Amino acid sequence: MVSLFQTHLKLARTAIKENRTRSFLTCLGIAIGVASIILILSLMGSISNLVKSEISEIGSDLIVVRPSSTKDSITSVIEELTASNSFQKSNLTITDVSAISAIENVSAVAPISVSVNTVASEKNTFSSVPILGTNQDFITVEPFALKYGSFFSKDNRENSVVLGYNLSLSLFNTINSTVGKTVTIMGEKFMIVGVLDEIEKSINFDNIDFDNALIMDIESLDQITGSTQIQQINVKATNTNSLTSVSENISETLTKQKLGDQNFTVLYGNAITHPASSLFSVVSGMLTLVAAISLIVGGIGVMNIMLVSVSERTHEIGIRKAVGASSRNILMQFLFEALILSVLGGFFGLILGYILAFLISIITPFAPYLSLEIILVTLLTTLLVGIIFGIYPALKAASKNPIDSLKHYR
Amino acid sequence: MEKKVSENIVIELKGLTKRYGYGDTESFALKDFDLTIKRGEFIMIMGPSGCGKTTLLNIIGLLDRATRGEYILNGENVAGISLRRQARLRAKKIGFVFQNFNLIEDLPILENVALPLIYTGHSKTSRLKNASSALKRFHLQEREYYLPYQLSGGQQQRVAIARAIVSDPEIILADEPTGNLDSRSSHIVMEELKAIHEEGNTIIMVTHNPALTVYATRVINMLDGQIDTDVKTVADANLPQPISVKIKKKKASSPTIVQPDIKKSEKRKKNRRKK
Repeated sequence: MVSLFQTHLKLARTAIKENRTRSFLTCLGIAIGVASIILILSLMGSISNLVKSEISEIGSDLIVVRPSSTKDSITSVIEELTASNSFQKSNLTITDVSAISAIENVSAVAPISVSVNTVASEKNTFSSVPILGTNQDFITVEPFALKYGSFFSKDNRENSVVLGYNLSLSLFNTINSTVGKTVTIMGEKFMIVGVLDEIEKSINFDNIDFDNALIMDIESLDQITGSTQIQQINVKATNTNSLTSVSENISETLTKQKLGDQNFTVLYGNAITHPASSLFSVVSGMLTLVAAISLIVGGIGVMNIMLVSVSERTHEIGIRKAVGASSRNILMQFLFEALILSVLGGFFGLILGYILAFLISIITPFAPYLSLEIILVTLLTTLLVGIIFGIYPALKAASKNPIDSLKHYR
Repeated sequence: MEKKVSENIVIELKGLTKRYGYGDTESFALKDFDLTIKRGEFIMIMGPSGCGKTTLLNIIGLLDRATRGEYILNGENVAGISLRRQARLRAKKIGFVFQNFNLIEDLPILENVALPLIYTGHSKTSRLKNASSALKRFHLQEREYYLPYQLSGGQQQRVAIARAIVSDPEIILADEPTGNLDSRSSHIVMEELKAIHEEGNTIIMVTHNPALTVYATRVINMLDGQIDTDVKTVADANLPQPISVKIKKKKASSPTIVQPDIKKSEKRKKNRRKK
């Protein structure tokens, strides 16, 4: 049995070698399908890794309050993410912020309110600058450091702003001397008290590009724009153990505050990035499905080539049967050939996919993500493709009548 | 499955019938065909085209099935066995030699000869060893790695004969083995078949050439799916026997032992040298 297995392998190898070009092209079909699946899985894996690392960076003691009830279904997740936060109607207010800060075991509370406005310096004017309204607790809650100056405090918060690294660079063409200068927003002058350090991460749970943002006090922002919506309240608990009780307290307090209206969500831990990660899994599932179609096309290529091979080798099948091969022997011979073609293609696809993922990682922050599961699933899939698309040609070969096949010449 | 060595019967066909088509198109390739073949016979089957020679050979070779009738191979009725058993018996007990050689073009002749051994479960080394010694017997050992098209017709047919005997079968079936060869090559091939026969192999050969009947121990003429004439030129007792049978006979202290014909084999060697 083992020796027959080896013989089938050897026969398949010889047959594949003999038709090098044909076998290569067939493999390529499978390889492209596998490569696209690998590419998608690897990119999606790296994105979800980024999201996960974001959580560990903001710390495990963070609680987030968002203005909407908990949504789990995929459609609402997509709705939530596609609807721009700045236009979302929020029922969170400044009074909620102060109510939360009164709760036990809460060390800092920072509201997040983003609007877009035009910012002018003495040199340049920029429109559509994201302006973040928050309070002095922001720098305690968020994991950011300041490059120059300091964050505004309770005393100087009224006319002070903090610039993002890139914004400072583009407004003044420099960063080290911007502290103390003024910027104009809607005719009001604000003094720059600090510049944030450059942030390498492109994804964060506030959905704000902090490098290009301007940060100011939420009450000042309210004054110049007339109305502000609080999109999120970030709460820092004193320790990790009290997260559950604190978040329950927040829920209770807010419900009382809003007279029973529970149109808000209190999240902590992994749940903070849940909408993002579930969207990624939906998108990656869809893309994998599309890539699977190309794998099916590759499989059809295998089947096509195997059918050609079977009809080309009818005479050989006749000879083999005449000297004692059973139908099963012939079946296995051709099935092995199909399997080797598709698994070989899968192997090349694996390498090709990771090379592509690596090339993409050069221009994007997504490092190629390699896991044993992906590799195993890919190889199993190609094995399955080989069986599904190889069984029909193999059955066709096995069912050939030896007497007729012997009369068949090329 | 007990071998009936004492009776020496390899094949017994009883009332074998092969019908093609139904109703108006019904025709019989074989009709109530009876035949008993003993070990060591060299049978030539002759007859006009369409008299059922090849059908008979295919049925004996387990490539085809009779519509009805009994086929007893080595004491075992194989008329109704499964296709898988048929294939296994084909690998072990039957060697085929065809008119058009039927070698696999893509395989070197060594592997062509080793082909039947794949399906009898030999390991790779023993396959190649056996094939190599079979080729050596036909003086082709220096061409083991040639591909079939690189050999002449006579050489190809000798490779095919080597393939037929490599698994040490009970019977060798040859369907016009010299039909595609010139007279010189066909002479060589017939000499080889004769040598194999003298070692005690049973050979059934279909031919159109009456000149070849000199090699046979029995000549059967077929007509319309039935035996027309059946002539034995050698007595049953004088048929060559395989060594294993001879040893058994010796143990049973049987007085009739067929001595190998030393003169003949020497003559053959001389012939070969001339070539």
